[in-house]
Amino acid sequence: MILSSMRDVVFGYADEPVVHQVSLDVHKGEFLGITGPNGTAKTTVLKLLLGLLKPWSGTVELNKEAFGGGKPVIGYVPQHAASFNGGFPSRVIELVRSGCHSRVGLFGRFGLEEERLVRDSLEQVGMWELRRRRIGELSGGQKQRVCIARALVQCPDVLILDEPTTGMDVRSRTELYRLMRHQVRHHGVTVVMVTHGLEEAGRYLDRVVTLERLEAEHPQIAPDMIPSELQPGLSGDRWEME
Amino acid sequence: MLAYEFMQRAFLAGALIGLVAPVLGVYLMLRRQVLMADTLSHVSLAGVAAGSLLGVNPSIGGFVAAVAAALLIERLRGLYRTYAEVPVAIMMTGGLATAVVLMSFGRTLSQSFSSYLFGSIVAVSSTQLWLIGGATVLGLIFFIVFRRPLYTLTFDEETAGISGVPVKALSIAFSVLTGMTVAAAMPVVGVLLVSALLVLPAALALRIAGGFLSAVIGAVGIGLAGIFSGLTVSYVGNTPPGGTIALILLLFLLLGMALQKLRLLWKRKNHEPDKSPKRKEGIESI
Repeated sequence: MILSSMRDVVFGYADEPVVHQVSLDVHKGEFLGITGPNGTAKTTVLKLLLGLLKPWSGTVELNKEAFGGGKPVIGYVPQHAASFNGGFPSRVIELVRSGCHSRVGLFGRFGLEEERLVRDSLEQVGMWELRRRRIGELSGGQKQRVCIARALVQCPDVLILDEPTTGMDVRSRTELYRLMRHQVRHHGVTVVMVTHGLEEAGRYLDRVVTLERLEAEHPQIAPDMIPSELQPGLSGDRWEME
Repeated sequence: MLAYEFMQRAFLAGALIGLVAPVLGVYLMLRRQVLMADTLSHVSLAGVAAGSLLGVNPSIGGFVAAVAAALLIERLRGLYRTYAEVPVAIMMTGGLATAVVLMSFGRTLSQSFSSYLFGSIVAVSSTQLWLIGGATVLGLIFFIVFRRPLYTLTFDEETAGISGVPVKALSIAFSVLTGMTVAAAMPVVGVLLVSALLVLPAALALRIAGGFLSAVIGAVGIGLAGIFSGLTVSYVGNTPPGGTIALILLLFLLLGMALQKLRLLWKRKNHEPDKSPKRKEGIESI
């Protein structure tokens, strides 16, 4: 089932387009990778998909039927997650708990369910032991993990990750891909991830979309999508501590 | 000292503004909008001048100008996303230029302007006290009710928007509140030192606090301590209250930084395991 659909989208920040005639479908319950060289507007395409930017022309539609007519819960990990303000006065657990704010509302109390979700999310990304650390004391890769935990705690229908492996070592990257694979397979989450590490991530992805450099008169998206080489037996429901 | 009515009013005005300005300062610092306080105070000076010329209460004129400028900065922020300081610079120049030109139209204005430039907390009028009280009550309600979405918004606007936080509406409300608080703080420390009341307590609290809530509460504590001790020193030493408060807050910041540095050096020397608040059990709840 198609979850979100872009059709012939054109968009630019000034007077020249940076996204040209991009059409893209996101299917429910898939692990989709978006890749391409630097400057091919991968993040911009993500923001268009999320509705953060309005296209000059073309359409971006969300299929609400895919979520039973309701509004989907979207977990988002931005590209700059690793470059937090070092002085942001929060501990790891405080930031992850803020992912539950939409569940508890303005005045609701954090119940056992929310506390379980927070613990579960932090354990999944291997950050439970560091839950009392200040954000500014973490490494770039650890900050990325915290942002992923904050996205997971929302129990999202869709997870959007913009180059989430920035600052992570090889082992952490593999664990992330395994965790996302697990979210897709066992929780029915749709994952869209911008990545440069296709060699590592390819085997975990269902589909890869490649954006090409902008050339006039040509659609910016590659016509062929690379099938994944999914391997059976991937579980990855926990991220081991380094 | 407190037997005098003007000192009672001064302490009341200081206490009210000291409850809300440092909280606002924490958010302004984390949103990288520190210069906004200075800008709005300069623009409100133009409002004061316009109010005087039009026969409107100057304090109300300053209030309206600061709120309008805050809204305009918020609008310009969307146009200059890459250069966040540009809208602030535009408004500061525009506000100050307007104030200077308007001042030239009224001769008596120049004399009363010094009280707006340097503050006159010991001569706070009833209208000013009501404006300070109104801004404080509204500010505290805003920060308590919207503490959760504000936390997410301060962390990252994009993430906040996707999480369902009404980013635009909340940013506009925040800007209006900033304008109101800056205008309310003017009689306390004056246009030139208004950012001291917002930024200095927040700057120290953010250095020493373990979590977000403790940073906010710490900033309020530091702000109130600075205002009360500043007023006392000013009364005893017969110094200008606005400048004295700002200097004491600056002294607090420098002392805090020095103590932090000494603690770090002592820890390094003794190779002690970290015993900072981060190890403390119990988590603050936003």
